[in-house]
Amino acid sequence: MKLRDMIEISVGNLWRMKLRASLTISGVVIAIAAFVSMLSFAAGMEENVSERFDRLGLLSTMQVYQQRSTETDTTTLNPLDDGAIEALLKIPGVTLAYPYDVFDVTVEIADTQFSSKAQALSGEAARTRLFSQFLAGKSFTSDMANQAVVTESFMEDLGIDEPDSLIGKKLIVSIGVSSLDSALAHLIESDGETFRERFSRIDVDSLIDSREYLKRTYQKELSEATRRFLEGYFGARDKIADTLQITGVIERTRGRSRSAPILVPVQTGKLFSSSGFSGNPLELLSTIQSGTFFESAPDPSSKSYSRVTIEIEPTVPFGPVKDSVTALGFRSFSYAEEFEEIRNVFVYFNMVIGLIGFLALITVSLGIVNTMVMAIMERRREIGVLKSLGADESEIKLLFLTESGVIGVIGATAGIVFGWLITRVASFIAKDVMVSKEIDPIELFSLPIWLILAAFALGLIVSLAAGYYPASRAARVDPVQALRSE
Amino acid sequence: MNSWLKTSRLCRYYRRGPQEIRAVDNVDLTVRRGEFLGVVGSSGSGKSTLLNLLAGLDTPTSGSIDFNNVTLGSLSRRELSSYRMRSVGMVFQSFNLLHYKTALENVELALYFSGTSKAVRRERAESSLETLGLSDRLDHRPSDLSGGEQQRVAIARALVKEPEILFADEPTGNLDHDNALQIAELLAKLNREGLTILLVTHNLDLAGSYCSRIITMNYGKIIDDSSGTRGV
Repeated sequence: MKLRDMIEISVGNLWRMKLRASLTISGVVIAIAAFVSMLSFAAGMEENVSERFDRLGLLSTMQVYQQRSTETDTTTLNPLDDGAIEALLKIPGVTLAYPYDVFDVTVEIADTQFSSKAQALSGEAARTRLFSQFLAGKSFTSDMANQAVVTESFMEDLGIDEPDSLIGKKLIVSIGVSSLDSALAHLIESDGETFRERFSRIDVDSLIDSREYLKRTYQKELSEATRRFLEGYFGARDKIADTLQITGVIERTRGRSRSAPILVPVQTGKLFSSSGFSGNPLELLSTIQSGTFFESAPDPSSKSYSRVTIEIEPTVPFGPVKDSVTALGFRSFSYAEEFEEIRNVFVYFNMVIGLIGFLALITVSLGIVNTMVMAIMERRREIGVLKSLGADESEIKLLFLTESGVIGVIGATAGIVFGWLITRVASFIAKDVMVSKEIDPIELFSLPIWLILAAFALGLIVSLAAGYYPASRAARVDPVQALRSE
Repeated sequence: MNSWLKTSRLCRYYRRGPQEIRAVDNVDLTVRRGEFLGVVGSSGSGKSTLLNLLAGLDTPTSGSIDFNNVTLGSLSRRELSSYRMRSVGMVFQSFNLLHYKTALENVELALYFSGTSKAVRRERAESSLETLGLSDRLDHRPSDLSGGEQQRVAIARALVKEPEILFADEPTGNLDHDNALQIAELLAKLNREGLTILLVTHNLDLAGSYCSRIITMNYGKIIDDSSGTRGV
């Protein structure tokens, strides 16, 4: 018997018992629709995460950090400086390495002044996907241009909603540079009293005779000197300022790939980052601690960065690159590795959802068994006739299996369509809620081809499995008994 | 005439509770090609069981059935199905038409299992029904046909496969006198055209009038084997 004939007969038989067949098929439809919509949500979430990672180029970047110092570890930590960047660039597969070169600035724009952070960025780094998610405008034209790109967070600091309104605006960026000279001058002469006048008030004899007087005096004088030095250091700073034109506004970057609110070309940035100490007390303490405070001017090439971002060719595996970074004495972080862990979470999530859908289908399969057993009991005589006409057991079995298979095919197909409709309605409602809560609407659901195929295969397999026992029973029907039955 | 259907010490026993029923008991029978064999006997004499055994629908408890020098007992289930499909046509007292199919579809059904194409199936089914005078009843369902017409559809279904032997189990049992005569005439005509027919009936007059040979069964045994009117 040809498959086409079997399908024709099966469809005809199901059509004859429309109500029963449609109820059974409805069960399959609902189970498959639930399976599809739940997994569609999981797939949608996975796709959203994946798309975001990929769009920002995070899957091909790695963040490199200096090793953490520990109390027991007394070895010198490798500095993450320009030399380290050179070394990182030599690792096979690394196409770009750029530092997180950030400095505190005061910005002035349209009569508004506030403190912010700026980041120097090379042209190559600025062209990476992370810095190319423009809400408006474009990147700076050269490494020396008096231009700046700002981020969404800068817009928020300014209280601006429309990114286009910032394009072409003048941005005055300034940095107060503390001078050692002014600090020393203030130490020697301040408050209208000279160093000689101060010294004359100290009783030299008491200094020699009384240890207590000596202790009190040097404590007092040292405190006073420190106060005067710091006052001179922070209070009499030079101001370096530059006027930059805003050329673009990019999306906010988060997490370990976050950037400063203002991005400036690398050469423009050097004006600020190599002009002496900023007003950052931590920087001051760091230089005192390192013993480089009294050195004349910091060497730009010896500047150490908190992190360096490296871009890796998409075809190059992360493992060997990570090993090379570790071998250079640095630690690393990559979103690609984190993404793998996220994907594993999604795999477990999918498995749980798939299991729930599968259990629903198992329940439905009992309905299919019931329908088919009923059909066999009602069609015993027909089975007898078919056997008398020459149908063999395998053909009878296939005939009934085809019937349950048709239930599966119709149920799975309609279930996929119904599931898709559910996701469309849910997506519409979700987007509406997101808009009402001023959240950027995203597509929560996705119906990839693998999910369609999996749902179809599951519906068909469960239906065939459910039909197997009744079909086997039909095949074993004794034709003599069947032909005698009423 | 050749003896190409033959049974040897054929038995079919089954149990009904503690009792053993000997439906067919040591039957030696030879059916010759072209014969119109009537099997008569009272209810429960084993006529239908013998027919089912010869048609390959039932399996003997012991003994053998040879058809064209092939023992049916040696055939696999698939081969036995093939025997029913190619060599055997069956007609039943209750017609056994599928009520939800038209006359044409019922006849076509017999050709599904031989892998015949749809177009050929339709053509042969139409031709078979036309031969039996039912060309205007092709699209009628059994419920729209008279008893005689239903039996003619059943005969058309049996004949469409062009079997070597037709087994008819009480084909006139559910028909009135006129329709019964028509069916009997039809069978006789088919026999005259060369078809071997084994007719099970309890209507002795009918068997006597149309069969070339009549065997009488009682308690599973052949108690008489004689020539019918046509055979004389």
